[in-house]
Amino acid sequence: MIRIDGNLVSPGPGGVYNERMAQGYRVWDPYRSKLSALSMLDPTIDLTADMRVLYLGAANGTTVSHVADYVDVVYAVEFAPRPLRDLLAVSEKRKNIVPIAGDATRPDRYAPFVEMVDLLYQDVAQPDQAGILIKHIPFLKAGGTAILMLKTRSVDIRQTPEAVFAETITRLTDSGLRVVTSCWLEPYHHDHAAIVCGVDPAGMS
Amino acid sequence: MEYWFGSIDGTGVCRPADGGAPELLARVRSLVTDMRVFHPLTEELIEGCGIFSDRREYIRQLREVTILHAREVIADAAQEKDAELLQMVRMLDQMDEVINLLTERLVEWYQVTDPSFSSKSRKGAGRRILPRITKSRSPPLRGVAREIEELGEARKRLATEVSRRAGSVIPNMSELVGGLVAARIMARAGGLTPLSRMPGSSVQVLGAEAALFSHIRQGSPSPKHGLIFQHRRVHNAPREVRGQVARILAGKLAIAARIDFYRGSLDPDFIADAQERIDAASGGAQ
Repeated sequence: MIRIDGNLVSPGPGGVYNERMAQGYRVWDPYRSKLSALSMLDPTIDLTADMRVLYLGAANGTTVSHVADYVDVVYAVEFAPRPLRDLLAVSEKRKNIVPIAGDATRPDRYAPFVEMVDLLYQDVAQPDQAGILIKHIPFLKAGGTAILMLKTRSVDIRQTPEAVFAETITRLTDSGLRVVTSCWLEPYHHDHAAIVCGVDPAGMS
Repeated sequence: MEYWFGSIDGTGVCRPADGGAPELLARVRSLVTDMRVFHPLTEELIEGCGIFSDRREYIRQLREVTILHAREVIADAAQEKDAELLQMVRMLDQMDEVINLLTERLVEWYQVTDPSFSSKSRKGAGRRILPRITKSRSPPLRGVAREIEELGEARKRLATEVSRRAGSVIPNMSELVGGLVAARIMARAGGLTPLSRMPGSSVQVLGAEAALFSHIRQGSPSPKHGLIFQHRRVHNAPREVRGQVARILAGKLAIAARIDFYRGSLDPDFIADAQERIDAASGGAQ
């Protein structure tokens, strides 16, 4: 991914959400976007031009728009009608975003629209975040990557973020995913962890 | 295997579905996909079909269908009859906040211009101070006071409209606790759909989230009532039975919400029955 003066940027027409521009590139603020934060903390995270991405929890499409600047196509799933409006507006300018109105807990409802992807990215405010990711493993190509942005506060506010994190890691590992790296998104986002998983070609059914 | 543009069988033979985006969407909606055996689309499958001239064309046509779908979902959500009522209630509560805030600030200002005035002597009478301030000697002060009064009028009209609409959107709930309280409860639940799926015990503490979570976390006493307290039969009930009244009323409200959601018309038998039960618990308190 492209960096200018230590700032992450993405190539594409600006004016999606009043983002700053730097030398013609769109500045991708790590304080607003968790994916940007993750890439600041872990520079090995990369988006490439041939990637197909399934993005769960697309929300208003701000992060989606940056991802779309880099990759081939983004399947952007969002459930709530209100952010969906903004997502549609963003998709109008970026023809490689496929906006999907759907509930991430029910992938069967939109499965016919989605193809196999290289990257599965999930950022949803739901209690069962590990379960949602596991349900989407069938969409992941062998050798593909899954990134879970774990909102520990949405899982269970009675447990400590660390406990939720540990439990999530166990569940993902038990489902045949291999945790590549994981980190907390401090100082950009509080009580949020990023878990990067890989699928082993052999381990998949 | 069924996909959005048609079906592909085990030997790779592809059957495109007929029609444009609306027909394709209707077809996808009718599909039942079993994720345990489903194979998502791959580039090879799509190319093997030969329906699309190239990848760009594939994405273009797919987008047509999914964007149509998203538009329908958005339109459906906006059309639900509780959507506007929800916004009106939230506006009403926000107006209350704003009016109080502005009045507070205005009184501070007025105190400086009128040394003989003390807000202590007229306890909690922000509203009653307003007419006095509109007669102040300072033109800008008078102007702002008049605007706040105007805002108060708008708030009153909005409140009337909220109760009127609640009477038609959530008739059974409105009959039990009055339109305004019924609408507030619905708004706090996030709409009629989520409210209709809520157990009575949740309805009882809607609006008392802070107390509820402190109860769950620290074991402080559980809240007896949330928004429901605004209803007279709850706040007028003797202390000893107030929790009981709140519980019974909440249970009936949860049923009323379901009738409102699924049937949408007033059920006089249910109402008569519920009122009797609630009145019995509250000891006929007015």
